[in-house]
Amino acid sequence: MDKSGVPTARGLDRLLEALRVLPGVGPRSAQRMAYHLLQHDRAGAEQLAGALAAALAGVRRCARCNNFTEDEICPLCRSPRRDASLLCVVETPADLATVEQTQSFSGMYFVLMGRLSPLDGVGPRDVGLDRLLERATDGVVQEVILATNFTNEGEATAHYIAEMLRARNVKASRIARGVPLGGELEFVDIGTISQAMIDRRTL
Amino acid sequence: MKRRADQQPGFVLHSYPYRETSLIVEAFTRRFGRIALLARGARRPRSAMRGVLLSFQPLRLGWSGGELANLVSAEWAAALQPLAGLALMCGFYLNELILRLVPREDPHEGLFDVYAESLARLSVGAPHAAVLRSFERRLLAELGYAPLLERDAASRPIDPARLYVYEPDRGPAPANGAASGELAVSGRTLLDMAKDDYTRPETRDEARALMRALIGERLHGQSLYTRAVLLELNGL
Ligand SMILES: [Zn+2]
Repeated sequence: MDKSGVPTARGLDRLLEALRVLPGVGPRSAQRMAYHLLQHDRAGAEQLAGALAAALAGVRRCARCNNFTEDEICPLCRSPRRDASLLCVVETPADLATVEQTQSFSGMYFVLMGRLSPLDGVGPRDVGLDRLLERATDGVVQEVILATNFTNEGEATAHYIAEMLRARNVKASRIARGVPLGGELEFVDIGTISQAMIDRRTL
Repeated sequence: MKRRADQQPGFVLHSYPYRETSLIVEAFTRRFGRIALLARGARRPRSAMRGVLLSFQPLRLGWSGGELANLVSAEWAAALQPLAGLALMCGFYLNELILRLVPREDPHEGLFDVYAESLARLSVGAPHAAVLRSFERRLLAELGYAPLLERDAASRPIDPARLYVYEPDRGPAPANGAASGELAVSGRTLLDMAKDDYTRPETRDEARALMRALIGERLHGQSLYTRAVLLELNGL
């Protein structure tokens, strides 16, 4: 029975509970989704259940870049056209996709699947820094480009990776930050302008 | 908590994602102490608050509402060189101490000022040990557990040439013969700590161990995340 005293089915209860594992889904959104699937889109629900089961069974982490893949080593890491001397470190698969969209980077990647977050107890092993170090010291990688977010957590992550690489004689660089392309100063947030001022360069 | 406030000096201690696009911000404000605020839409890509709601940055905050108030404004209050490297880890540590030890909605204006000053010192490269130890000392004092540093547990002046054992509930007691462990501390170190003077390496080592033990008492055996993460980093 739910709070209003309406009897509910056990299967429905389990579905509501299961949907709530999704980020940002509370009891009300879960209810809306469940009713939609069961009432209006049973075919879609079938598809969702199948896709989820298949992904769980087939998708794993690439042994080289840590991104999701169905193979031992993902197609990007296997590609002979990529420059294996450059390794770009990103926080998430979405970040990797964004850097790829620029078409300005032809090297390899390592996906942390997170960032160091000391206040949440997320430490180096939780984001695979030990595996990244192994990957970056394979003798082929010449430069590691740190493309973690410009948050305090992203900065801490980049700092520690750079320190560890320096100790192992691997060059580390950090992507630059500043005013967005086409951005007019008047409309850019103060923090970004302040950083751009600190990170200014000589012309 | 006051239902409406404007232009309040404050810092973001930490924030958590909330629902699809919002954030719950744990803020430390000068007048109202530690409060939780709901920043609606702050995780949207174009949110103006995104680049502002950062830790270690002096802000002016405005909010309204009851239990979990809505953050209505957040402005940059001063430019601080961003913390980097170990100074950044020290900043996380200060934030964790406040989050774990300062109760919500309990104003601590003195501690707020020390916190702001500590961040400013860290940002210009001041020696970390001195900044952390004086903050810890002030924090304990604000919570009602100011360490006894100039007199021993029997109210006799501390003798710089003697060795003491610090008893957490009573204070330093002269050690009989050899004493060791994190609570063993020289009189000289106690007096240095009273003056916030951390130039001597022995003072730094003993003070770190002593403060760790005294803060441990207040945490009732819970360990600090920032300390564990730093240990793990040093082990890689
Ligand atoms: Zn790969």
